[in-house]
Amino acid sequence: MSAPLDVERLYDEHAQALFAFLLNFTRHEADTRDLLQELFVKLAKRPELLDGVRDERAFLLRLAHNLAIDLIRRRGTRDKHYEQLAGDSIAVFVPAHEPDEGAFRKALSTALGELPPDQRAVVHLKLWEGLTFEQIAELLGIPLNTAASRYRYGLDKLRERLRPLYDEIK
Amino acid sequence: MNPDDLEKHLRSQPMRQVPPQWRTDILSAARQASPSEHAPRTTQHVPRSPSLFSTLLWPHPTAWAGLAAIWLLILGFNLATGPSAPLVAKRASPTAPQVLMAFQEQERLLSELLGPRETPVAERPKPAQPRPRSELRHRLLMA
Repeated sequence: MSAPLDVERLYDEHAQALFAFLLNFTRHEADTRDLLQELFVKLAKRPELLDGVRDERAFLLRLAHNLAIDLIRRRGTRDKHYEQLAGDSIAVFVPAHEPDEGAFRKALSTALGELPPDQRAVVHLKLWEGLTFEQIAELLGIPLNTAASRYRYGLDKLRERLRPLYDEIK
Repeated sequence: MNPDDLEKHLRSQPMRQVPPQWRTDILSAARQASPSEHAPRTTQHVPRSPSLFSTLLWPHPTAWAGLAAIWLLILGFNLATGPSAPLVAKRASPTAPQVLMAFQEQERLLSELLGPRETPVAERPKPAQPRPRSELRHRLLMA
């Protein structure tokens, strides 16, 4: 028998991280909202999913990733322009007050959108969730080496794309 | 360019905040979907200690209540008119010796009408004469 689920606590502690991951992964705000709601509804329906879970954040991120993959697969058959949407510039970061920093964030957001989704997921989890490659590999269900190489390829692309802007800011 | 510096700079970029109005909608949807939210609704209809009797009667409680009321009326009527009925029955019912005497009288009349009992004696079947088994063979030999 599982303990009653405290959905509010889960939301307050993890919604921000889940939102950022889903927004970066889907590059679509409405989809992010739908997925976030789907995730919490799923947890509310089946609170036993959290039984024995040691790292709530990692578990919820994995759940979010799986839901997002399902959504992309569903879309893939009938919505061919979904990948194009990912390339569009979407505000993933907080708008900056300084113009240079604002331009950098905008370029970073665009560059992230140009990464393949699997690289983008690894880069996000490494940079903005601070997970280790081992944790990322477990979360995404991929080998450790794959997680590391995806990060390296992704970061190389970002570096190449952002170098001029970064040199100006520095 | 030092890659570590870029990584640090990337990490320092603050992600957008989740829109505050989403919280109410998402938590509301989650609460509606939770099993504990549905539980009180079901317990309103299901008795706390369900027995076989209540389970059988539950589908049409009004009809069963009406039937029970009718039976109570019949029982009440029966109790109200009850004491006279057994007396009538007692008066009407003959005592055991009377019944026995009547039965013996009827048996006597019947025996008079039918006459004395004769038990038919069945004739004994005549013992069959054993035929010589070799009769046919004997005739054939003689011929």
